[in-house]
Amino acid sequence: MTDMIDTHSSGRSAPDVQDHGRRVSRRRLRREKLFYRLLTLPALTIVGLVAIVPLLLLLVGSLREQRSGLFTLDNYVNTLSNGFFMRTLATTIVMAGGVTAISILMALPLAYLLARRTLLRNIVMPIITVPRMLPFVVIGYAMILLLAPMTGVANKVLMGLGILQQPAFILFDWPGQAIAFAYNGIVVATAVLTGVLMSVDPQLEDAAVSMGASKVRAFFAVTVPLATPGIIAASALIFTSVVTAYAIPVMLNGRVPYMVSLLISANLLTLQQQNLAYAQAIIVSVLALGVTTIGQVVLSRYGQRGGDK
Amino acid sequence: MSAPRWRLAPGLIFGRAALAIYLVIMVLWLTFPVVLVLLASFQGTLEVSWPAPVSFDAYKTIPPSYWEAFWFTIRAALLATGIALLVAIPAAWAMVRGRLAGRRVMSNLVLIPDVVPQLILGIALLTVFIPLRLSNSFAGVMLALVALSLSTGLRFTEALLEGLPDEYEQAAQSLGADKLTAFRLVVLPLIAPGVAIAALFIFMQNLITFELLFFISGPSATPIAIRLFSDIIDRGIVPYAVAMAGILVYVAIAFYTLVAVSLGPKYMAGSVMSRKG
Repeated sequence: MTDMIDTHSSGRSAPDVQDHGRRVSRRRLRREKLFYRLLTLPALTIVGLVAIVPLLLLLVGSLREQRSGLFTLDNYVNTLSNGFFMRTLATTIVMAGGVTAISILMALPLAYLLARRTLLRNIVMPIITVPRMLPFVVIGYAMILLLAPMTGVANKVLMGLGILQQPAFILFDWPGQAIAFAYNGIVVATAVLTGVLMSVDPQLEDAAVSMGASKVRAFFAVTVPLATPGIIAASALIFTSVVTAYAIPVMLNGRVPYMVSLLISANLLTLQQQNLAYAQAIIVSVLALGVTTIGQVVLSRYGQRGGDK
Repeated sequence: MSAPRWRLAPGLIFGRAALAIYLVIMVLWLTFPVVLVLLASFQGTLEVSWPAPVSFDAYKTIPPSYWEAFWFTIRAALLATGIALLVAIPAAWAMVRGRLAGRRVMSNLVLIPDVVPQLILGIALLTVFIPLRLSNSFAGVMLALVALSLSTGLRFTEALLEGLPDEYEQAAQSLGADKLTAFRLVVLPLIAPGVAIAALFIFMQNLITFELLFFISGPSATPIAIRLFSDIIDRGIVPYAVAMAGILVYVAIAFYTLVAVSLGPKYMAGSVMSRKG
């Protein structure tokens, strides 16, 4: 950096002049750095005050006993040894895993078609984008309009056709929740995977086909491996969104809470066991962040950043 | 050398048919919420039947508290988007051009509100907001949205600035502009279209945020998504709530049209935003 200044003052080789120039440039550089630091300050302050400090306080709160305020691991021990919580957590994970797998499997062929057929993409893209810009609650309303036992469209149609003798009560139970989550998952997966598959060169498949592979085989042997980073990114996104969802599990809740977020909010709001709820919230976020991190690690193993979030 | 085409034909036809059926089912499945909500909103009852007389009763009976919640959400979302971008653009510029030590750490810190599950951040905010009397207030809801928008805004603007070659600014500076002038006169106009799109995305994200705001909102600060949610818990699904859901569908359609017209539909594939939970 300072070399440039040296060439400026090369006419006089007096060392003090060089020194002076160096000092001035160093000061300017420092002032510039300070200026840049100041520009990042508001953003860092806001995030610090509105996210980092609250999250740290949540962590501290989870380590305290509610009555005495003493530091203890009891909240975690109690949570992890509570059979009901652990069963619900297991159900949540199974639900999230199942929904993720189904969403990816259902969305992958559609995303492939959208990536390769421009006309189809232009028609279907609004169909995918509009639901993504709706609150999940609105999707819940639609689920009720579709599947409600007496008034739902699906039940009325199926009973009208004589396929069902009596209405199916699947909405306010785990199938209803799974269907709502899968709807969201398919929408997200289609959007992400379309973007990823568009960046896979179609000539690679053509090459595979020209060497004798069938189109289906070329898809699974060439395209899918190249799209794997995107599949992983989409999976992590869908999994975490199911694990931490709140609106749908409450709206479509059955007699037994299936989702862990319900237990946390019950502890927080109605049972007045805040510190226990904090510990459970930390456990759930470790789970969610863990899945995201594993996804990132696998992605970096692949050595490329495919599939933006 | 090559197999005669006609021998493949039955399999090909079968494959084509299966693909077409799959495509139709997927499109129907993806459109059903929007279609059902809109149909139900024009019938004034909760049973969707077809054909049915069009009625605007549901829209006319939307109570004032719903409109309040709607405009509350719009105000908070707009203000949060504005503040977040005002803060995020200089920060992104400094991070990209300043070559500061620890840049990765800083930008990852700003991304925290987006990475941590919204439900968890909401609970964390509740614990801080109650003693500060910020829960159940406009300011609290807006602050939470600012943190979220800041993450998204920084990701957007960093990508925009990284895509912009350094040379433009250097040229301006070699002609005597200082860094700030170069930023104002050269960089800002160049990234303005991208920033406008980012603002639109962030605004929509704020509009539909639920989990983050659920715990910190209350009777005197209710975003529309939470209004719709708590009404369905309290009194089940009602026609005017479906009408409000319909209005949110119109907003989403308007958003899509705006972005598609200004960018072309291709851009929406794999785009940055997605609903969390």
